[in-house]
Amino acid sequence: MPARTLLKKLKEALGEHIGQAWVPRPHRAFFTVKREELHDVVEALVKRFDIRHLSTITGVDTGEEIELLYHFWDHDVCFTVKITLPHHQPRIKTLTDIVPGALFYEREVHDLLGVEFEEHPDLSPLVLPEGWEDGHPLLKDWSPPEEN
Amino acid sequence: MLDGLIRWARRKSPWILHFNTGGCNGCDIELLDALTPRFDVERLGILEKATPRHADVLICAGPVTRQARDRLLRIYEQMPEPKWVVAIGSCACSGGVFRGCYNVLGGIDQVIPVDMYVPGCACKPEAIIDGLVKLLEGI
Amino acid sequence: MAQRLLIPIGPQHPALKEPLGFRFRVEGERVLETHIRMGYVHRGIERACQERTYIQDLYLVERICGICSHIHTTAFCQGVEELLGVEVPRRALYIRTIVCELERIHSHMLWLGVLGRDAGFETLFMYTWRDRETVLDILEEISGNRINHAVNTVGGVRIDLTQAHIESILKRLDYLEEQAHYYLGLVTTESTFVARTHGVGYLSREDGRALCVVGPTTRASGVDRDVRRDDPYAAYEELPFEVVTASEGDALARTVVRVKEVVESVRMVRYALQNSPQGEVRVRVRRRVPSGEVISRVEAPRGELIYYIKSDGTERPARVKMRTPTLANLVAVPHMLKEAHIADIPIVLAAIDLCIACADR
Repeated sequence: MPARTLLKKLKEALGEHIGQAWVPRPHRAFFTVKREELHDVVEALVKRFDIRHLSTITGVDTGEEIELLYHFWDHDVCFTVKITLPHHQPRIKTLTDIVPGALFYEREVHDLLGVEFEEHPDLSPLVLPEGWEDGHPLLKDWSPPEEN
Repeated sequence: MLDGLIRWARRKSPWILHFNTGGCNGCDIELLDALTPRFDVERLGILEKATPRHADVLICAGPVTRQARDRLLRIYEQMPEPKWVVAIGSCACSGGVFRGCYNVLGGIDQVIPVDMYVPGCACKPEAIIDGLVKLLEGI
Repeated sequence: MAQRLLIPIGPQHPALKEPLGFRFRVEGERVLETHIRMGYVHRGIERACQERTYIQDLYLVERICGICSHIHTTAFCQGVEELLGVEVPRRALYIRTIVCELERIHSHMLWLGVLGRDAGFETLFMYTWRDRETVLDILEEISGNRINHAVNTVGGVRIDLTQAHIESILKRLDYLEEQAHYYLGLVTTESTFVARTHGVGYLSREDGRALCVVGPTTRASGVDRDVRRDDPYAAYEELPFEVVTASEGDALARTVVRVKEVVESVRMVRYALQNSPQGEVRVRVRRRVPSGEVISRVEAPRGELIYYIKSDGTERPARVKMRTPTLANLVAVPHMLKEAHIADIPIVLAAIDLCIACADR
């Protein structure tokens, strides 16, 4: 179904949880959700709409805040749920209880941006080497460690 | 006399161990290609071994990442003397396109001594064979 | 009472082509738990992309993986072209598609050989890699390099196909199709191969969906998903093709799906070569990309590849994020290995077509 129709259906079901929404082109839709409501929204997507495929979680440090984009794939539409986290408190509840496939994506965002996913079963480093203590490389104010 | 025989055997039939320290696999696939029917290095006496203890030549591809550094050192130490190291591909020679990335230390020579550099991205199987032959001529 | 042991495998191991650390908790011959340690091939590409210009990023992104280099640049170029708002000439889209499918053929043949090697079927490895040389010859003729072809650029492609190229490729496609049919017969009837792959690494449809697995791994479990059909890009809207699925969900089903995909890809390349439109192959584009964000998705040989690119109006991207199919499939490995024999470990790992260079970036 076209992206606009999907967005309309989601708005009808989840109305007050959906903030801004936009459809840049066919097959793509974006909408924003508040951080505290993300878990409930995704639970509705899984249980009411049977949308289970999470393509990935992108983390972006815009300077003022950290954006997390959850990309979902439903039939022929890739729609993205956007939330923002403040720098001083980058934490959010994990989605692995409803979307098991989010396991590695949350670990990666934790590694590279320092976001804490509460109740995640195992937040050990995924891609960064053992003994890495030089911060989170994708943060804007990060600089590489001195070579020794 | 026995020394001469051993040196002849080593030159005529080097056993290689392959390790990828963080590369894109392009050079690894070209190395494996050298074992397949078109190039068939086994007819030249070159055999790919599974363990460092059996190998004469260590062929490394890819730039050295921080995580792979200790493993590379350990493998090098496990190989019995005399041993040689061949760095295949631009990344193994100097870091290649990944030079300057935060998790990359540079080429193989940042960690272990290298005897032969084979450039290319990815270096062709003919180039790898040529590099091995030139290395062995010097033994 | 069988003893419980912790077996480490990797990062250097004959069963593994790339550095990846595993720890298996086993009881007797059965695997109870799998722990995966990645990061040996993590080069920090996402950060490096922000520090270089778009054109420099093209060369960086191509070298995330040497086997699927073209599809990475396709995804990247598509994203940047969408941000720039340029329309790529149709001939360029056809050439992109032809190289994408040629890459799929060579990747699947490579994979079949590696699976054969891991199953102890060394002859299959030699045969498939000998046939794969045909595809690499084609790629070398049209682009100049066997691997890392640098065919794509932002705004189109850098090569053009002459009539002589097309005729020479069509002849070789007939050979490849014949060989693909031979391998299909081989993998389904060779009893030792079937014994090693049938029932191994089973993934049910529900688990495949819950774990968000992609590509042939999930299509072999009956999940009908393919970005080429669902979210068409390049010239796929104009190419007729079938999406291959199976329902058994084991390593044998994945093998059959991939070999059938080779047959489909050969047909697609043939169609594209015979029906490609005339015209330009690239348009010139600006260096500075207007602000915006875009999601570019393609079907790599291993599954769905998704790129997120954010631009801020300068010559360098603000953020490039790529999620490769292997990362999506690795999550399913501990699940597939529960209660498996130790001897099945290389088969299960090979059956999902691991590419750690892609997963680690």
